Amino acid sequence: MESDSQLVARAQSGDQQAFAELVSRYSALVFRPAVSILGREFIPEAEDVAQEVFLKVHHAIESFRGEAEFSSWIYRITFNQAVNLKARVRFRSPHADETVLHQAVSPEPGPYRQAETAQRDQALAECIQTLPEVYQSALRLYYWLGAGVGEVAVLLGVPENTAKSYLYRARQLLHGMLKERGYSCD
Amino acid sequence: MTEMEPREAGIDSLLRRSMAAPVPSLPPDFDQRLMREVRRSSQPLDRYRRILLTGYGLTSVVASAVVMRGQGLDWGAIAVMILGPLALVATVPWARRATHTTMRHSAK
Repeated sequence: MESDSQLVARAQSGDQQAFAELVSRYSALVFRPAVSILGREFIPEAEDVAQEVFLKVHHAIESFRGEAEFSSWIYRITFNQAVNLKARVRFRSPHADETVLHQAVSPEPGPYRQAETAQRDQALAECIQTLPEVYQSALRLYYWLGAGVGEVAVLLGVPENTAKSYLYRARQLLHGMLKERGYSCD
Repeated sequence: MTEMEPREAGIDSLLRRSMAAPVPSLPPDFDQRLMREVRRSSQPLDRYRRILLTGYGLTSVVASAVVMRGQGLDWGAIAVMILGPLALVATVPWARRATHTTMRHSAK
């Protein structure tokens, strides 16, 4: 199997087949961080981000000098593209994630308990929105997309210990915020 | 899995339950659609646009020459003023490519 740098070199000389191979190698790896930054209300937008990222990479691949890993370069483009898009679509974001309300129709006993759970989930969704971007992304990758800590680290382009500390810090902050709002985490 | 303090376990299970939702993925034809878009965006100008652009270029060169001649400039100066910028425009991409190749070779 050809390495990334070999494929990049071929793509730089105009080989479309090499670029197609890079796309198939990286499409899921670009989509996952994009969707983790944008959240589940904006899945079609995450697909647009993935497309936009590859068009940018294709346009700029000649200027890629190989000083950094190709993967780091593409993740940086993805992160910037997704964060920029999120800033633009934020006003369309509902106050809280609506899916938590759908989940509230759960087999838990009694309507009072259901309403309580729904309120707590809504508060949690609101608290997540206030966390720094990388914490939100780490949480979504880990708890929603089922990535392990190692994969979170790779997808965010940070060392594994940093990814661990993002998750730890995010949980601590959420715990504190929920407590302030009068919700128990137990 | 990270090591967790007991009080962290509560928020951990809350997050697990609250964030559980179907995992999205790209449509299966994403790669093909993207490559079509890549080919479309990197295609050279089509024939019609090329003819239009060439016509526009020639007309503006002739118009500039006539105006400059009307101002009393001789043909030599007119040729320099028209061909100089054209030569510059033609050389810049070539120089960029040459510099880029040299830097890539020296990086290796």
